[in-house]
Amino acid sequence: MKEFFASLYEWFGLMPLYSTDMGDHLRGWDITCTDYIGTPWYVYIGWIMLIITVLIYALQYHIIDSPRWNKKHHWWIFSLLIVVLNFLVAFTIPFNTVNAGDFCNQLNLNFSDCIGFGLSNAIWSFIFFIIISTNPLIRRFSTNCRNTTFWKP
Amino acid sequence: MARLFVFAIGGTGSRVLKSLTMLLASGVKPNSEKEFEIVPIIIDPHKSNEDLKRTERLLGNYQTISNEVGLDSGFFNTKITTLNNLVDSKRLSGSFTFNLQEVGGKKFKEYIDFNQLDDANKALTDILFSGKSINKRHEEVNLLDVEMDIGFVGNPNIGSVVLNQFKDSQEFKEFASNFNDGDRVFIVSSIFGGTGAAGFPTILKNIRDAMNNRNIDGKGFLQDAKIGAVTALPYFNIEKDNDSPIQKSDFIAKTKAALHYYKDNVTGNNSINSLYYIADDYSGKPYKNDPGDNGQKNDAHFVEMASALAIIDFLETPDRALETTGGKAVSPFYKEFGIRNDSDSIKFSDLEDYTERKIALRLSQLALFRKYLDEHYQSAIEKEAWSTDKPEINKKFSDDTFYRTNISEFLSSFGEWLIEMSNNKRAFAPFNLDTTLDALVADRTVKKGLFSGRVDFAMFDDKLGKKSKGKTYSSAQQKLIKLFFETTEEILTSKFGLKN
Repeated sequence: MKEFFASLYEWFGLMPLYSTDMGDHLRGWDITCTDYIGTPWYVYIGWIMLIITVLIYALQYHIIDSPRWNKKHHWWIFSLLIVVLNFLVAFTIPFNTVNAGDFCNQLNLNFSDCIGFGLSNAIWSFIFFIIISTNPLIRRFSTNCRNTTFWKP
Repeated sequence: MARLFVFAIGGTGSRVLKSLTMLLASGVKPNSEKEFEIVPIIIDPHKSNEDLKRTERLLGNYQTISNEVGLDSGFFNTKITTLNNLVDSKRLSGSFTFNLQEVGGKKFKEYIDFNQLDDANKALTDILFSGKSINKRHEEVNLLDVEMDIGFVGNPNIGSVVLNQFKDSQEFKEFASNFNDGDRVFIVSSIFGGTGAAGFPTILKNIRDAMNNRNIDGKGFLQDAKIGAVTALPYFNIEKDNDSPIQKSDFIAKTKAALHYYKDNVTGNNSINSLYYIADDYSGKPYKNDPGDNGQKNDAHFVEMASALAIIDFLETPDRALETTGGKAVSPFYKEFGIRNDSDSIKFSDLEDYTERKIALRLSQLALFRKYLDEHYQSAIEKEAWSTDKPEINKKFSDDTFYRTNISEFLSSFGEWLIEMSNNKRAFAPFNLDTTLDALVADRTVKKGLFSGRVDFAMFDDKLGKKSKGKTYSSAQQKLIKLFFETTEEILTSKFGLKN
């Protein structure tokens, strides 16, 4: 699971938005710089991202589920909420660690790494929201948003 | 399915028929032992009568809508058909109007071949048809010189002669040969004018005398037909115009004379099974004094809707109460109509319980349906889930004749009908048509609670979405009618507290 999320956030090595040192820290490289036995942040933040996205999807499609919130611009509002929340989660956790110096001192972590990871998480949450909200098999359980996607109505 | 042949005579007949059409469109249904199909036959020599033309157009749209969506869609759930639809005859016009022959552009004296009469008969005719009237150019003329294409201008003595041709008409023959045992007849007329006052007893007599008519089949059924009628006594005011042959002051005299005639020839001889009298002595806003030459377009009136309810009541009367033997009603009965409060602007709560239960919910449903289509439909289609589900209700559907012509025209007429009744005096104004959705029904406040949301179009769309989810419809046309009937019913019962 750790490697799954790691490869997602590191864009399969093609387009990393942050340094490999940040990648090691998020994999759980421990504070004593011995092994990957620290907190596996990739897994935690990955699950948090999935849960936040699903919850906000459910909020729009199944809890509010109203004609007042079923147009495409409403979809974009909810997607913005998802993106912002997931950015904040993925930015804040490593940023606090960096500020506290609570990581292996051989790693070189900085503010832009935190921004990069936040962006990566935000983009994946956006992609995940697109996937679940464009799948008619999932949407059909909604009453008023069963046709709502990012391009209609 | 049994049939109810409704003879709508004169201007009042057409307007009552219009009210009946509105009630049936809204889903008002007689609580009867069997289903009835309505066959309206409009009898009016005044072909340019606007009330008649409006009613004909309305009936045409009703028929198309009902045929498209079927009889189980809530609105438009009673079949209305033309006489020629029953008989597959090429000899009938296919319209709802009985074709009075040789009336258009003809003077009454020409119609009766006055010049061919001998001197004695001419003298007798002169006495019977003495007096003055006006022609369509507003010139004073002798009664014998009346041109009948604007009606009988308040002269039932002319009307009774001309309308007697009914018994020899193709329509009457087709009607008679298609009249079956369980079928019924209802005659709508006013008593204080010309056409209605003359037409009602004439038609009744011809039906009861069917055994003596050699030209028709089905005589036995017809002679013992279950016949009801509503006769409208004076119920509206009319402008004073000394040049017009129609005078308010004559209404009561004409009514008395006609009632006296009915005493011997309608009620006195048990010709009719069920006779409904309706009147209103409220002196309200006067109608324009139009003898017929300006098209005669009168505003709809509450009394006409109440008269239409007489037809519903007649259909609810069981067969055993309408027995007829040898052309005579065994136990005829006579009814009047009343309201709970003598209000000059009637709301649903001013009606008696039965009437309120019968019409309040259904009329409100159609009013709500109309309001949605007028104010929100265009912004909802192709967006809301209920419209995008199959069969789709989209812009293409809206451009189709069914929606663009039949539905739009019908609901526009329904709106006009409500507005006319609300502007009339006495008014029937149960709706606030130009307000927000939650204030639509005048004497009902929307139930408010901690968890009950606002009553607006978004709530309407939500209910539509829930109702349509998982349902199948035979066509988009049926979906539109059935879905809105079910949804408006739920909104009005749950939010406005109207009773089903």
